[in-house]
Amino acid sequence: MQTFTIKPYAMPDSAPALREKVRALVAEHEHRFEPARRANCWVTPDPEFSRALGQAGLLGMGWSKEYGGHEMSALERYVVLEELLAAAAPVGAHWIADRQTAPLLLRYGTEEQRRRWVPGIAAGEVYACIGLSEPGAGSDLASVRSNARRDGDGWVLNGQKVWTTGAHISHIMIGLFRSEAGSERQAGLSQFLIPLDTPGVTVKPIIDLTGSHDFNEVWFDDVRLPADALVGTEGEGWKQATAELSLERSGPERYLTSQILLTEFVRRLEGGADAGQLRLVGRLVSELSALRQMSMAVAARLAGGEDPALEAVMVKDLGNSFEQAIPQAIAQAIELDLSADDALELLVAYSMQVAPSFSLRGGTREIVRGIVARGLGLR
Amino acid sequence: MNETMTDMDTERQTMLADMAAGVFAGIGWQAEFDRDWPRMAELGFSGLLLSEDEGGFGGSWSDLLVVARLAGEHALALPVLESAVASRLVAGLEFEGVGTLAPSSDGELSGDTWSGTLSAVPWGRHAGFVIAGEEGGAVAIDTSDAQITERTGLSGEPRDTLALQNARAVRVDGDPLALGAAIRAMQIAGALGKALAISANYVSERQQFGRPLAKFQAVQQSLAQMAMESAAADCAAFELARALDRDDASFETAAAKTRAGMAASTGAALAHQVHGAIGFTREYALHHLTRRMLAWRSEFGGEAYWSERLGRTIVSAGADRLWSDLVARTDP
Repeated sequence: MQTFTIKPYAMPDSAPALREKVRALVAEHEHRFEPARRANCWVTPDPEFSRALGQAGLLGMGWSKEYGGHEMSALERYVVLEELLAAAAPVGAHWIADRQTAPLLLRYGTEEQRRRWVPGIAAGEVYACIGLSEPGAGSDLASVRSNARRDGDGWVLNGQKVWTTGAHISHIMIGLFRSEAGSERQAGLSQFLIPLDTPGVTVKPIIDLTGSHDFNEVWFDDVRLPADALVGTEGEGWKQATAELSLERSGPERYLTSQILLTEFVRRLEGGADAGQLRLVGRLVSELSALRQMSMAVAARLAGGEDPALEAVMVKDLGNSFEQAIPQAIAQAIELDLSADDALELLVAYSMQVAPSFSLRGGTREIVRGIVARGLGLR
Repeated sequence: MNETMTDMDTERQTMLADMAAGVFAGIGWQAEFDRDWPRMAELGFSGLLLSEDEGGFGGSWSDLLVVARLAGEHALALPVLESAVASRLVAGLEFEGVGTLAPSSDGELSGDTWSGTLSAVPWGRHAGFVIAGEEGGAVAIDTSDAQITERTGLSGEPRDTLALQNARAVRVDGDPLALGAAIRAMQIAGALGKALAISANYVSERQQFGRPLAKFQAVQQSLAQMAMESAAADCAAFELARALDRDDASFETAAAKTRAGMAASTGAALAHQVHGAIGFTREYALHHLTRRMLAWRSEFGGEAYWSERLGRTIVSAGADRLWSDLVARTDP
């Protein structure tokens, strides 16, 4: 039976200075941030802010300087991420590229792919999306049908991806395609790097229930790519894509999305709070603190070259449940006029609407708990 | 960099864990104080937190966590942890016998004597001295002449009332309520981890509809949820021990006791649910863990007390310090 392994970590000496740097940068740009959307800040794009982060050396923190990175430690990067999220800064433009795409290219990509794309990502100028889900492949990702066919030296892509976050602002997609005709399930899949301005690629918006445009459908109609569009090894796409998932699932964005709500709730209570409200604050901060310990334990293990996949999904599911509970708990604890445009009301109203997505994106609660159950030896 | 475990720490804790696991497993909830305590005394658990100069083990709070988790895991019905903490608080003072902690007291310190009542004292009937809260700190009270009313807690363990008249008393540093809460949070983490293991094992063996319960997704989801609660309690307890080793652990104590209490509540319910009726029987081992978890949850301040105290600290500091105060706890 595998359970959560705790890894002791030590926060870097540079942590306080890094925090100050992030806080100063946020303060400089804050006047521009859209108040309500701050409750879902890591899918909210703001290219100007992303470029500012790039200029400040706060993207690509762990990567080699050769590719525009800053050769800092994984925990230094963690400090920057959690500061950005706690401040509810709109980091959606670069988030996926910085979290997954560049690390994937640095690990599996060719030298040319790295040189072509990674420095732009570190500069906060190149954005990426991930093409996994399809109309017939959601939680059952291995049902991917979009295909890549060899054609001379290159590839021809056909098919459709859906729920692709940020495709409309992205420069590239890392997409999972069936590269071996007739292959089944996890076999015969490959990852491709697709510049989204390639002829034959069509991005269509999906408007969510709040009226926001984060998701897209992406269509591929005889999209011709050169041979070096393949990322990593042909046929190893499943392994490569799932290896990224620990990076995707364990980060502080899985429990800090609603941090600003908690902050604004406390601000509302500064004028006076009853015992029930104080208890709620104490309970939420106790949960937050435990999640932060769990998430940092995962970060420490990732930094040590391990793949704590089980721990990562635990952080994700527990973190998602926590984030989803915050707006509900606040609404139970104080009277709110959700038509008002005060910060707390705007945030509660917005986050109540987007909260259902927290336990869908990056793996549904049911899938994630199934992975935990497998670790426990039940499957 | 700070607080990284050294190889020596790891080695010491492995040794400690091996020793404690072996002894606790053989005693567990069937402990009888008169029969089993001498063994604990001989092994030196009470001196766990005393320096070697003071005749102790020279252990840290992180070492105590190892023992506390195992005590929780084995539902050990002996005041091993209470006595280790109490002994540390009276280090260098003249107190005899088993020490324990009072979660609440109503009395008065007058010079070097204390009169009043100590309530819900774990193993109070066996105690030579008790640490009780006192304005501005704590007081160690000689309880060898206490008038004892024996009471039993939800876990079936002694939780006695001690009445004292002019008992010898000395002021000591430390907060027995907070330290008691700390060890209870650690014990919950241990007991929940064990309840999870028992539950995972049970659902893998028990067959219904021609297959093990473990193969049903609904059961898998429950076990997964339990595993996450267990992980949260563990991480909270781990950070609490590190904070106690650093210095002030008031934030971590409140946070860990609150989080562990929530985990105990959810975890115990899930453990019973997946066990079905067998887990509800006297003969099956689960209740020794679940009843203790639920008792420990309320002892030395429950979630209501600790979350309110933590909430008040946070709201008083104000919204703009919520995050910066939290991260300052772990920054160098």
